[in-house]
Amino acid sequence: MASISDVLKKSTIFNSLEEIDLQRIIPLFERRGLYTGDVLSTAGNTAQYFFILERGALLLAMEDGKSVVLATLGDFIAMELLSDRGRYKTTMTVLEDGMVFSIPRLSFLDIIQEDTPGAAAIMQAWQGYLDQTAPFAKNIADIDVPAIF
Amino acid sequence: MGITIVFSGLVLLSFVIAQLHKGLDLYENPRKIKGWFSLKKKPVKKLDNSLEVKEMLLVLTEEQKEIAKQFALLVSTLEDHFSLPRLLELARISGVKNFHSNLNILLKSDILFPDKEGFFCWDQDLYIETISN
Repeated sequence: MASISDVLKKSTIFNSLEEIDLQRIIPLFERRGLYTGDVLSTAGNTAQYFFILERGALLLAMEDGKSVVLATLGDFIAMELLSDRGRYKTTMTVLEDGMVFSIPRLSFLDIIQEDTPGAAAIMQAWQGYLDQTAPFAKNIADIDVPAIF
Repeated sequence: MGITIVFSGLVLLSFVIAQLHKGLDLYENPRKIKGWFSLKKKPVKKLDNSLEVKEMLLVLTEEQKEIAKQFALLVSTLEDHFSLPRLLELARISGVKNFHSNLNILLKSDILFPDKEGFFCWDQDLYIETISN
């Protein structure tokens, strides 16, 4: 079982952060079990958490029948993939037992809106990650306004 | 000299006779020849739901083959590029057993694969190969 520190260091979103930034963000995460068939988020509900995957498989069902399956350690399920103006836009279903770490959505958005190298690194890595995993989910018009998520 | 030639011939003949069964086996199972030229497979690994997966190739029990066939029938009612949540919902409505985990196995085997536009496709050749084993 990996620690949140291990997961963050292996995640393409967070692995470029300085140790001081990691130590600041780590306490915000909470471990949560994944059980096949469970629904982690429902489209339309208030978006409270973002998630980073330790193990297991998740189906993210988006608008217009589109979807993506995430099953790699360090996959980050947030922003364009999950929420829009404070509401989940994605229904997330567990396809395989595993584990995630959740972080309060507002806490994460506060961090990435700071004028710091760490925030800039996360946002830059996020755009690359979206290009790789779900380019169809990118919100080009609002790309620089994290608060909308 | 003559004795050496005769003896060598006898050794060669016995070797050929000893290997004859392998030739007959290849004649009866020509797929083995194809296997020599295919990519080296990863070792078989056991998954939680007892499906055995090689690289690109599932080894299914008879029950699991029936479930894969059920998914194939459902996919045949959809477009070439289809919604995966829609397929999952159809599987639920149709009463497919353990539809979450079995869908996941089809994804892991690459029988179901993403088209990078948010939809998924079905690899019919890989499916046929998988259920034929």
